[in-house]
Amino acid sequence: MNYYFKNKKAMLLFALPGLLLYTTFVIFPLIPELLISFQKHNGISSSGYVGFENFKWVLTNPRFWIGNKNILIVMAFSTFVGLPISLILAIMLDFQGKKVRRFFRTASFIPAVLAVTVISQIWIGIYNPQWGLVNTVLRGLGLENWSHAWLTNQDTALICVAIVFVWQYVGFNMVLFYAGLKSIPKTYYEAALIDGAGPIRSTIKITIPLLQDIIKYVLIISVLGCMGLFVHVKMLTSGGPGDASMTVIYLLFNTSFKDMEFGRGSAIAILFLAECVLVAGLINRFVAREKIEF
Amino acid sequence: MKRIKTDKNGRFFIAIVLIQIGTTFLFPLLWMVNLSLKTTEDIYARPFGLPMPLDLGNYGKALSEFNFSVYFLNSVIYSVVSVCIILLLGSMLAYFLARMRFRYSGTIMNYLVLGMVVPSSVTIIPIYMMLQRAGLQNTRIGLILVYSAFGIAGTVVMMYAFMRSLPMELEEAALIDGCGIYRAFFSIILPCLKPAIFTRAVIEFMGVWNDFFIAYILTSKDGLKTLQVGIMSFFVNLGTNQWGVIGAAMVISSLPILIVYLIFSEQIENALTAGAILK
Repeated sequence: MNYYFKNKKAMLLFALPGLLLYTTFVIFPLIPELLISFQKHNGISSSGYVGFENFKWVLTNPRFWIGNKNILIVMAFSTFVGLPISLILAIMLDFQGKKVRRFFRTASFIPAVLAVTVISQIWIGIYNPQWGLVNTVLRGLGLENWSHAWLTNQDTALICVAIVFVWQYVGFNMVLFYAGLKSIPKTYYEAALIDGAGPIRSTIKITIPLLQDIIKYVLIISVLGCMGLFVHVKMLTSGGPGDASMTVIYLLFNTSFKDMEFGRGSAIAILFLAECVLVAGLINRFVAREKIEF
Repeated sequence: MKRIKTDKNGRFFIAIVLIQIGTTFLFPLLWMVNLSLKTTEDIYARPFGLPMPLDLGNYGKALSEFNFSVYFLNSVIYSVVSVCIILLLGSMLAYFLARMRFRYSGTIMNYLVLGMVVPSSVTIIPIYMMLQRAGLQNTRIGLILVYSAFGIAGTVVMMYAFMRSLPMELEEAALIDGCGIYRAFFSIILPCLKPAIFTRAVIEFMGVWNDFFIAYILTSKDGLKTLQVGIMSFFVNLGTNQWGVIGAAMVISSLPILIVYLIFSEQIENALTAGAILK
């Protein structure tokens, strides 16, 4: 037995290929990235080290802060509007018979299965000022003066992008919550009912506390998803109008692959990674701190 | 469940609400199909009416101008090959960590978890440069290597959990019967892990198939583009007036994944939620 599990050649064969591939493309690139962030680099060759010049450029660049403000807004929208909707839908779903459950799970999951490019293009049609769904409905309701060009308007562009993002993943998050709900023993609700707790009270006192691990998981996934928002923005608004829907990753993309300033792009990447680690750490620290066994 | 059974009216009301909301999720997709069957004038005149006259020309135009078969084949190659590499290397590494006696197994596990925190958008700049320097930019192999590398950490963590739940006796018996460790792994352990492998295959496949960011940055040759990147450049080249053709291209490019999803919907939902439940 030990002979087999301590076989050096077998160990190398099992461990090395995977570790090598993972190290080369996931961990190792962080080193050149850190080095490049201190250089003036055009993607092909470096013109030498410039100290903290790139970081100074990023941190004094208003677009970087607009990008951060925008992802915070999307994050808030997704966390306080999107996730509660998913949770409520999951709870409603839990009360239903098999057929309704099947239909609703499948229907709401489809947007998450389709490509972001397709989803975004559909919504470009929905937001179309002349014949799009939103303006047609508004006109039909007699709210003619509310209708406008949603995606090219300074005030509505960002929230329109956020709505598409949240809409696409509401069903996905709901299915995650629903999977957690199924694992809560039904007897708890029966006991609560006997003690006179209504549906709202038992949701707050039983469902949410017992769902805390899933809530934390969904929160981390959706918050990191908001932070990395890129494809939706690229398709729907290209960051515009002006910088109204600029995000950090969109700025990173433009700085490095459009303006060919890879040093500055790397500096944005390093700062963004720090933000991700910080946010994930904060959620880990403050959400669902105590384990509940059941 | 008792409370609910007594409250039949409430349940019926919720069912109506859910079906209504479910339809709002489907509506944009049905609208896309509707658009694809209309002429441009019809779209502008009556965007929500049924197609009148029914126009299949959009599909002909989309099929002749949109390189669907090339992009589709590329997407299939990238996702199938990457998923195979991820599953093979990932489960081998997981087996090494779960079974073999190595002093630093714990350290390696932490090292892998570390990689799950690094999003690919952060390291795309050095990856782009590395591939360029190695002559792998704009090649299929380059893209496949990157996709595979980003799938390994998650796969190992999940397969490790499953392998720990398999009893040691499985291999003990095989090894005593004179079966080598490679055969024990491939013909005893892997078959026991079929459900876990299927789950992981689904997760990784959806990830690679729907990826836009990595493919968009690492490929510029038209013949190497994935469906997601290809359809975007098609939209850009087409301009904004030909919504019928846009709709047709969207329907064509969504059909493969929709068919796969509708056949395996339950398994796919379970697979994608398995990650959360394991925690």
